[in-house]
Amino acid sequence: MGDQRFGVETGGENVVGEAPAEEPEIFTEEATVHDDETELERTIGLAGGLAIGIGTMIGAGIFVFPGLAASIAGPAAALSFAIGGVVALLVALPTSELATAMPRSGGGYYFVSRGMGAGYGAIVGLGLWLGLVFASAFYLVGLGHYASAVLAEVGVVLGFDPVTGVALLLGVVLTALSIGGTENTAKLQNGVVGILLTVLTVFLTYGVLDALGVFGSQGTPGVFFSQGTFPVLTTAALVFTSYLGFAQVATVAGEIQEPGRNLPRAMIGSVLVVTVFYVVTIFVATSAFGAARLGQFGETAMVEVARNFLGLPGAVAILVAGLLATFSSANASILSASRAVYALSRDALLPRRASEVNLRFGTPHVALLAAGGPILVLVATGRVELLAEVASFLHLVMYGLICVALLVIRRRNPDWYTPSYRIPAYPFLPVLGAGASFGLVAFMQPASIVVGTGILVLSYLWYRYYASEVSLRGAI
Amino acid sequence: MPDRPSILVPVRVLDGESIPEGVPELLATAHVVLLGYHVVPDQTATGQAKMQFEDRANNRLDRFESGLEDAGATVERRLVFTHDGQKTIDRISDRGDILAVLVPNGTGPPADVLVAVRGTAGVGRIVDVVAGLFRSTDVAVTLYHVRETNETDDDITTFLDGVRARLTGLGMDPSAIDTRIDPEQKRLAAIATAAEEYDALVMGESDPSLTTFVFGMPANQIADRFLGPVLVVQREASQSESS
Repeated sequence: MGDQRFGVETGGENVVGEAPAEEPEIFTEEATVHDDETELERTIGLAGGLAIGIGTMIGAGIFVFPGLAASIAGPAAALSFAIGGVVALLVALPTSELATAMPRSGGGYYFVSRGMGAGYGAIVGLGLWLGLVFASAFYLVGLGHYASAVLAEVGVVLGFDPVTGVALLLGVVLTALSIGGTENTAKLQNGVVGILLTVLTVFLTYGVLDALGVFGSQGTPGVFFSQGTFPVLTTAALVFTSYLGFAQVATVAGEIQEPGRNLPRAMIGSVLVVTVFYVVTIFVATSAFGAARLGQFGETAMVEVARNFLGLPGAVAILVAGLLATFSSANASILSASRAVYALSRDALLPRRASEVNLRFGTPHVALLAAGGPILVLVATGRVELLAEVASFLHLVMYGLICVALLVIRRRNPDWYTPSYRIPAYPFLPVLGAGASFGLVAFMQPASIVVGTGILVLSYLWYRYYASEVSLRGAI
Repeated sequence: MPDRPSILVPVRVLDGESIPEGVPELLATAHVVLLGYHVVPDQTATGQAKMQFEDRANNRLDRFESGLEDAGATVERRLVFTHDGQKTIDRISDRGDILAVLVPNGTGPPADVLVAVRGTAGVGRIVDVVAGLFRSTDVAVTLYHVRETNETDDDITTFLDGVRARLTGLGMDPSAIDTRIDPEQKRLAAIATAAEEYDALVMGESDPSLTTFVFGMPANQIADRFLGPVLVVQREASQSESS
C-alpha cells in the first residue's frame, strides 16, 4: 500500500457555530499527514492491536458469563458463544475493509458518518460512546464480584454485599488513573493480555484433558440442549458483550501502523482467538459441574471450576486472572469511550470542549469524565445482565449500520474509496452481517430493548437539535 | 553529492525544549530538517493533541526556523504528534537523505569540533557531514581515534591520513584538520572525556545503534557528560529508498 489520498469533505456548523475539524489529506503506513507539515504518528503494531481486541473481550466471556450462560442455556451455552463469534466475524470482515480505506480514530462511528451522513453518524457515535459506558459498567461489576470473591477467600467477612461498593471504588480509581496517569498503559495492556492467555491456555488444556477422562475422574456431561434450543439464542444475545472488543481496535485505527495489513489481522484475529477460548471454556466448565450447579456459582463460577480441577492454587490463579481481565476490559472500554467522545467532538456533534486536553497531564480529562461519570451511575444499579445487554444492543445497532455503510459506499464507489482489504462474497456477506446483527437484538430482554431504543431516539433528537446543519458524508 | 548535508534536529517542541545557543551557527551551512514533536500519553488521541496544540507548536517552530535561517541554514520542517518520540525520530531519520541527527545541547560559537572516527565503514558519511558543515567556516576539526587491540601505529596513521585526504578533497583547509589518538580504553567513555575540550562532537552511529542513541544509554554517557551538541552520523540506509 502506498500513500493513500483521502477525499471526504466535511462542512456546516453546529448550533453553537463550531465546524467539523479539517480532514487529513494523506495516510501513509506510519503516519497521517495534514497539509504537508503536520503528522500524526502511528505507534500501535499488530501485537498492540490484538492486545486491545483480546484484552477488551476476554474479561467478560470467560470470567463473568459462564455461570450465567450455563444456567440459561445449559451445556448448549457453548453454541451460544459460537453463534456470537460467527456474528462478530460477519461484522469484523466489513469493518476491516472500511478501516483499511479510512484508518482514522472513531471506528464504526467514522465509517457510518462518512458513508451515510451525520444523522446516522450521530446515532452510532453517541450509541458507541454510551455502549462503551454500559460495557465498562458491566466489566466493573464483574471486577467487583472478583474482588469480593478475593475478600471471601482470605476470610474477610462483611456485614453487607461488597460487590457494588468495590465496583464503584474501582471505577473512580480507573477514571482518576486514566486522567492523571502518565505511565505507558499500552505496554501494560500487552503484558496483561500475554499473562491471561498463558494462564487460560494452561488451565483449559488441563480442563479439556480432564473432561475427556484422561485423568481418570469422571466428567459430568449432561444433555446438550438441556433447556431447549430457544434459550441458546437469548443467551447468544446476552453474551454478545463478550465480542465487543474488536470494534475497539477500529476506534484507534488512526494510530495503527501499516493499517492496511494490521487492522484486518488484529480485528479478525482477536475475534477468532476469543471465540475458541470461550467455546472451550464453556465446554470445560459444564463438563466439570453440569450446567445447573455451575449456574449457582454466578459471576465467579470459573473460580469454582478451577478449584475443582487444581485445588486452592487453581482458584487463586483464576481469581487473579479474573481481576486482571475485568480490570483491563474496563480500562480499555473507558479509553475507547473517550476516543468516541473525541471523534464526535472533532466532527462538531458534541461541543469542542469535550475533547479538550489537560495541560498538566496531557490527557483528555473532559472526555474521560464523560465516560467515567455515567459509568459510576450505571455501576450503582449493579444489574449485570441489563448492563451487558444494553451494551450489546448499542454495539449491534452500530455493527448492522457498519455493514449497511459498506453496501452504500461500495454502491456509490467514490474515487477515494480504495481499501487495501476487500471482503469476499460481496454483497452476500455484509447483508448477512447486518441481518444477523439486527436479528440478535430481537432475542434480548424487553427491558434492554427499551433502554437501548430510548438511547437511540435521544441520540437522534440531540443531532436534530445540536448539529442538523453539519455534513460529514464523503464526496461522491 | 548534495551541497548542503541534511541534518535532522529533533525538538520536543511543547516541553520547553528549544534550539540551544550556538546550534544555528554550527548548522549554518546545513539543510536542517527541523522536527518538532510532541509526545502524548496513550489515553489521548494524537489528533486530539493536534487540535489543541498545533498553533502553539507552530508558533514556536516559526521562531526556531527563522533563527536557523538567519544563521544561514535552509530549513524544512515537520510537526509530529506521537505516542512514541523515539519511533518518530527513527522514522524521519531513516528517510534516506538524512546524514546526521543532532542531539541538541547548547554551545558557544563553535570554534573546535571533535570528530570521532573508528574504521573505514561509515567514514564516508562522516566526511560528507564534516566537510559539508565546516569547509567554508573557521571551525577547526580534530579527528579522534581510540586505539583498538591489534592496531599498529602504521594502521592508524594510514587510516587518519586517508580521512584527512578525503576531507581536503572535499574542500577543507588542511591546516584546519588536526588528529588525536588515545591509548586503548573504553571507547564511549574516552570520547566523552575528550569531547569536554571541544565545542561540538561528531560521531558515527556505528557501534551503539542510533535507535537507542538519542535517548538511550550511550546518549546519557556522552551527551550528559559532554554538555555540547552531538551530531550522530547515520548509517547508510539499508532499505531501498521509497518514493
